[in-house]
Amino acid sequence: MRELLSDLMDAAAKRAEYADARFVHTCVERLSTRNGAIDRLDSIEEEGIGVRVRAGGSWGFAATGGTGKADAEAALERALAVAAAQPPASGAPLAPEPPARGHYESPADRDPFAVPLEEKLAVLVAAEAGLRTEPGVVLTLARFEALRVDKLFASTEGALCGQRLTECGGGLTAVAVNGDDSQSRSFPASHGGHVEQAGYEHFISLDLAGAAPRVSEEAAALLRAPACPPGRRTLVLAGEQLGLQVHESLGHAVELDRVLGREASYAGTSFVPPDAIGSLRLGSPHVSVTADAGSPGGLGSFRWDDEGVEGRAVPIVRSGVLAGFLSSRETAAEIGLERSGGCMRAQGHARQPIVRMTNVNLEPGDAGTLDDLIAATDDGLLIDTNRSWSIDNRRLHFQFEGEAAWEIAGGERGRLLRNPSYAGVTPRFWASCDAVCSPSEWGLVSLLDCGKGEPGQVMRVSHGCAPARFRDVEVGVA
Amino acid sequence: MSTVELARRAVAEARGDALAHVTRERSLMLRFADGRPTQATALEDVSVELAVVRDGHVGRAATNDPDGEALAGCARRAEAAADAAAAASRRGVHPGFGAIGAARDGTGEGHDPSTAELDPSVGGAALSEVFAVAAHHGLSAHGIWSAAEQERGVATAWGHAAVDRTTDAYMKVICIAPGGRSGYDAQTAVAAGALQAGRLAERAAAKAAVPGDPVELPPGEYPVVMEPHATGWLLDLLGDTALNGLAHAEERGALAGRLGQAVAAPTVNLADSPRAASTLPRAFDAEGVPKAPMPLIQDGVACAVVHDRHSAALASTASTGHATAPGGHQHGPRPVNLVLAGGGAADLDELCAPVERGIYVTRLWYANVVRPKETLITAVTRDGTFLIEDGRVTRPLRDLRLTDSVLRILSRTSDLTAGQELTSDGEFYGRRFAYGVLCPGLRASAVRFTGPAG
Repeated sequence: MRELLSDLMDAAAKRAEYADARFVHTCVERLSTRNGAIDRLDSIEEEGIGVRVRAGGSWGFAATGGTGKADAEAALERALAVAAAQPPASGAPLAPEPPARGHYESPADRDPFAVPLEEKLAVLVAAEAGLRTEPGVVLTLARFEALRVDKLFASTEGALCGQRLTECGGGLTAVAVNGDDSQSRSFPASHGGHVEQAGYEHFISLDLAGAAPRVSEEAAALLRAPACPPGRRTLVLAGEQLGLQVHESLGHAVELDRVLGREASYAGTSFVPPDAIGSLRLGSPHVSVTADAGSPGGLGSFRWDDEGVEGRAVPIVRSGVLAGFLSSRETAAEIGLERSGGCMRAQGHARQPIVRMTNVNLEPGDAGTLDDLIAATDDGLLIDTNRSWSIDNRRLHFQFEGEAAWEIAGGERGRLLRNPSYAGVTPRFWASCDAVCSPSEWGLVSLLDCGKGEPGQVMRVSHGCAPARFRDVEVGVA
Repeated sequence: MSTVELARRAVAEARGDALAHVTRERSLMLRFADGRPTQATALEDVSVELAVVRDGHVGRAATNDPDGEALAGCARRAEAAADAAAAASRRGVHPGFGAIGAARDGTGEGHDPSTAELDPSVGGAALSEVFAVAAHHGLSAHGIWSAAEQERGVATAWGHAAVDRTTDAYMKVICIAPGGRSGYDAQTAVAAGALQAGRLAERAAAKAAVPGDPVELPPGEYPVVMEPHATGWLLDLLGDTALNGLAHAEERGALAGRLGQAVAAPTVNLADSPRAASTLPRAFDAEGVPKAPMPLIQDGVACAVVHDRHSAALASTASTGHATAPGGHQHGPRPVNLVLAGGGAADLDELCAPVERGIYVTRLWYANVVRPKETLITAVTRDGTFLIEDGRVTRPLRDLRLTDSVLRILSRTSDLTAGQELTSDGEFYGRRFAYGVLCPGLRASAVRFTGPAG
């Protein structure tokens, strides 16, 4: 395959200003148990070649499921034809990048695909049994998933590099129903649980069976809990809810393709102007954010992005002020950056790379543990798991709802509340952040279904964060 | 090799009860932003999904390699999964694929040979037309043009087999004025030749170019007139939350215990109509079950939810032909040919006429379900939100966040336009499966907005 891609790029160099090609082989395994029965056993294997060219200023991309020489050459021809058929365009130069060479494998102690199915199912069956303990719980789910991607990248600039990335994880969900009300609790997170770039050991470390009784009890308890009253409250966000807050309101807002208007037709634009590095205040001095393609275990970690740029840590926000963007070689050059931020990622072989988040992490602060933060809060709400999310196309006005909230009164965690929604305006919300917990509380959360691009691409990302506190937030809005 | 032949070969590799669903996609998508082409994607690929049933459990495997060795490997993985499930758990509910009836071949109504040529110059010409209109109005143009041919073949170990060839085309135009106001229009059709690029651009431009500073409305309930694009979003979300037979069977669905009851205004007649004119016709679902017209809400009364074979077994009924994956999707079945019958209003202007002060919504965006049992959703308005005063659209409005129950909005629906449009978002994640909602414009007496957007 290395020779095939090299030869293909030699041919492309004669006919295009720039070209790259990716061979991608993807294996996915998803297992679940549902209401006491094995529910889902999916094994997906896909491979193919995607060829991207820039000719006459226009980009063209073609993908094929075939992996032979003729398939690759046909894809190149198709990419060139598609580029040529479009109205003329003047392409910006690409930010320079040394050709990527070498091979990388993400760490995985135990290959999740080599673990017998029976062993994985036994863990799920045991965990899910622990969810079926409460009356009113009508749906119980336990999930496992593993993903392995092998990719090889070549370009007309001489790049030729390979990577193997392995991911594994899972989670639990319980849904309780009473009349017109339904309430859910998930562990460690909703939206597919918690997945890391790791082996089977990560799935086992989640201890789903240990968490199951509590998850089920909380789902049932939510049916009896009072609704979150409307008003303005102090919020303590933790876990997945804080990760999603970072993702939606900061991560997407600093994608440079959006900032430059390239995604207006689908994902939207951004309230962040392209010339605001060093001047735009996005949050309080407690807020520092880094896009780090090297976070151990992160789903946004890699050695090279999908246009061959070496992964690195890019400062995004420093002490509340915009410090950088998520960028590609094209968008970086367009605003005068010396280098791409290395954020081009593609889903499989049949999608072209677009600007994506790596691991966009909220840096830890000095507020101690979550218990310390709660003890230092007179009145507020704690939300840690997401149920619903929506944000406008400029990434400015958002509305979220958690699965559950706990009241904080007099520095203590109190009663459970259902339907805890809140809304805000991105820079105002982050400006209200007055505490972030210490490094001991910092960890990764995973988001498995970030949609962007046309045709659509689902990307898997992680966000590192420690619980944080926000003042004077509008709650009870939905 | 045809998809149905490939499906037969895949099934032949498996032992026992099995079904193969094969999808071949050839597609082309051209994106543009700020009046220039930005990305273009041409795809040719095939997906083989093989489901094996053992003791009521489904093991599934998929590959995009049509080679015999890959198909055999796919069969071994599906069998291993089904065998492991049967050994680890009590009997499952899936009834198998033996009694699916004779899946019918597609009629060809949903296929346009000219579109199937996927000539990129047709798309290129559409882009040029849009750029010219936008430039004429001093606006920037953003959007996509896309076309595809898809062939789906299905075969079972019981000897049933069928094929369905379809095409689809989609274009979306967003025009943005220098001050940031934007306008939108989109069109979905079986044939690329039906897409009217210039008309789409003119309609999008007209909305972006409406003069005046946007008015800001405080949160509250307002009368609303929605274009078909916005109505389609609501109905699509209703499909997920209320019409999904799996959620219904598990008591999580919004219509659980409410079939036979009034859930919407009497003017609301909603069906899944896979053969209706102006839809994207489909012959069978991912389990080979033939599709047929199916009333869902009649004169405001809920009458049915949709099923795949898994959810149907849980509900002790028969599949209605709404599987989106062989063996059933984890999120359950969904209607993909929703049709809301038109009403008595001649057009959108007539819908606005009785509104003293209200909101005109072109489209909704970033819609998400908040509480599925209440059909409570949230979304923002985008690309053409206006104030209605004294029965006509007067001024641009700042975008708003809508947070309300879909069934509540349908209960407050007072009229619909007679004409319908096939609406879609053109979102193609994974293997392309184009679908749309055929619906009219809608007027509701009160819709809840919870804050500003944009």
